[in-house]
Amino acid sequence: MTQPTTLADATRLAQDIEHHLNQVLIGQRQVVREVLIALVSGGHVLIEGVPGLGKTLLVRSLGKALELDFNRIQFTPDLMPTDVTGHAMYDQKSEQFRIRRGPAFTQLLLADEINRAPAKTQAALLEVMQERQITIEGKAFTLNEPYMVLATQNPLDQEGTYPLPEAELDRFLFKVLIDYPDHADETRLVNMVLDGTIRASLDVESLTPVTDAAGLKAMKTLSDGVLIDDEVLDYALRIVRATRDFSGLSHGASPRASIALARASRVQALFEGRDFVTPDDVQQVARPVLRHRIQLSADAEIEGQTPETALGRLLEQVEAPKQ
Amino acid sequence: MELEKASARLAPRSPWQAVDLGTKLYRQWAAPVLWVWLAFTLVPFGLMLGWSLLAETLWPLFLFWWLKPLWERPVLAWYSHALFAETLTLKQLFQRWRQYALPGLASQLTWRRFSPARSFNTCVWQLEGAKGEQLSQRLRALNSYPSNRAGIMTIVVLHLEQFMAMGLMVLLYTLVPWQFSLEWSDWFYDQGALQMAIASATLYLVMCVTEPLYVACGFALYLNKRTWLEGWDLQLGLTRLGRHRASRTGSTLLMLLALLLPLPEPVTAQPSPRNNEEQQQVIELLAGPDYMPFEERTERQWKDRDDDSDSWLEKFWKHFFDNLDDDEQQEPSDSPFDIPDAVLWILFWGVFAGLAIWLLIKVMDQLGLGSRNRDSTPVIPTHVAGMDIRRQSLPKNLRDATEQALGANDIRLALSLMLRSALAELLRRYPVALAAGSTEQQCLRNLQAAHGEPLPILYLQRLIQAWISTAWAHRPVDAETVRTLLADWEQISAEEAANA
Repeated sequence: MTQPTTLADATRLAQDIEHHLNQVLIGQRQVVREVLIALVSGGHVLIEGVPGLGKTLLVRSLGKALELDFNRIQFTPDLMPTDVTGHAMYDQKSEQFRIRRGPAFTQLLLADEINRAPAKTQAALLEVMQERQITIEGKAFTLNEPYMVLATQNPLDQEGTYPLPEAELDRFLFKVLIDYPDHADETRLVNMVLDGTIRASLDVESLTPVTDAAGLKAMKTLSDGVLIDDEVLDYALRIVRATRDFSGLSHGASPRASIALARASRVQALFEGRDFVTPDDVQQVARPVLRHRIQLSADAEIEGQTPETALGRLLEQVEAPKQ
Repeated sequence: MELEKASARLAPRSPWQAVDLGTKLYRQWAAPVLWVWLAFTLVPFGLMLGWSLLAETLWPLFLFWWLKPLWERPVLAWYSHALFAETLTLKQLFQRWRQYALPGLASQLTWRRFSPARSFNTCVWQLEGAKGEQLSQRLRALNSYPSNRAGIMTIVVLHLEQFMAMGLMVLLYTLVPWQFSLEWSDWFYDQGALQMAIASATLYLVMCVTEPLYVACGFALYLNKRTWLEGWDLQLGLTRLGRHRASRTGSTLLMLLALLLPLPEPVTAQPSPRNNEEQQQVIELLAGPDYMPFEERTERQWKDRDDDSDSWLEKFWKHFFDNLDDDEQQEPSDSPFDIPDAVLWILFWGVFAGLAIWLLIKVMDQLGLGSRNRDSTPVIPTHVAGMDIRRQSLPKNLRDATEQALGANDIRLALSLMLRSALAELLRRYPVALAAGSTEQQCLRNLQAAHGEPLPILYLQRLIQAWISTAWAHRPVDAETVRTLLADWEQISAEEAANA
């Protein structure tokens, strides 16, 4: 399996993965790019979009293209934390306790409709996401690298949902908005299904693996070497800090967001084939890094603003780096 | 009506003090009055609510609301007796219903239904029993100046009622379990039976509080007006004084009457010392706060123009308007403002037209119709990517400044100077909308999107690439590349100037 050794190789590989995923998930180039950046950055992603836009397909394709284990949990109000992480059960045969590993023991975990489960179950993912380990009966199990949680939530059907707590939201590197494909892409998708080019069930069996966990690890290592100038880093920090006292926002992003923005900017530069970060790279990833970490003030909500419009204004106002 | 039996002190008050008295009456008798209200309204309300729910219509509830003047009558009857120490039982109220409920009811339920002074006027109809012309005269007299403020009081109570009903309804909605799927927003467009029942019940509950309060306040205003007009307080004072003196001399009342009568001459030239003493007592009594409530009042009134004013501004305006007023009767004057009429007319209408146009422009701007809004030429920014591109911040001689930076081996500074100069010049020639947060690449993209790729923009692309490589990738271009870029820029500038 291909393993990049130079930055150019890493860029080629990243673009190759991107190309493969775009063949399956039609009309969602931005989503694919953002999910891949998060994966290479070692972060988790919260995907928000209405049903039927290919969220599950994306994760399955990702698992197939990168030869990663994939598990899916449908979050429901009666889901218990042990249903996610696993638990110890008594084996009558051996007269000993045996650990039953939950679906969180994987590499790509799709937490579908995460906000349907109560806070206790959502919190079960905190340790998994932050420490990349699961503790059962006092024993910590380290998870395989790479490890990524892709949680989804539906923005429309809010009845009987439990909003994610700030602490958990902060642990997602990106919040990715998945929207309907444009007319041309949707036409292409329908035609491909009708032609039999792809099956209506949109299975990913035809997808060939592009790289594996080792390849991803190499990409991550190479992205760590991408240069970020002091002025550009300062720009990233100024953007995050501006969220804390920006009109229309009741609370801003934490220092974890600053780290996330810098890391994601590096990977974005790598995807663009550069070994240095430009202010444009920072701007490109600022929205997915920040949109779930800010909270609109009451008056801004009444005025009909959204986190997107507020971030748009903020990015316009924070001066780009000086010479 | 035996005023001495009144359980409230009858004294002239301001309307708001009278309303205060009304609230005190309500607070004192809240429980019995609530029973009266419930006795006369609960059954009709229940019937109308049932009808409303069965027929799925709001008309029965509207009818209940419309009959409010009728429901208020028993409450007023109870108050009017209770004030004079007579407590009517529910049985008595039902028995006397025809006597107090019917006078004036027809008009109150038809053309006078929306009268803001309803609570006040009901007292006249119900308690005085006047009819025809006599009633009209009474109403005119009692509603004469100064105002009794019954209208404002009605508006206040109306708002109180609506806000309380709204608040109670919101409270109930928050307490309804979510399984009922009862949304507050549904109330406005999709009223089911449950919503209707909640809305009606809350309004009725609120009315149980506001209606007795409203009647009490109206009644207190009525008592106050009569106290002012008919001197009830004086009557009471004299009665009390008369009783007090009767046992001793019986002459005080005569003395009072003698004092109050407008006699041209005193009857006795030299009153006895005892008479003097009593007279002094009466004067002090009448001058007391009960009878002569002094109050300070500030009013603004129009006054005639003061022709003797020395103010030059007033003189100018006077002269100005006099001139505008009478063209033909104008006489020669020695005023320092002796300006020809035509000039004044032009001045006046000029200022007027100017103000009107200014106002029109402001309004059009507000509505987004102004010429300023239609002008799509973007404002040239002063900073791009944090770089100051104002003319005054740029070097007068770009070549010298760039060579100087190259001489100091500061490639970054040299490129920065060139980039600032190029951006300043290009944005003047090819304006685009940019924000403070626009990066140099964004600037380039916007220029390309708006103006395509003419030679100067292609040049800017090369320059930005060199800048990015130097500034952000820490791979400075060599000095020769900078010089080539500088020479190209000078050539482009010269060509552009020649074409211009």
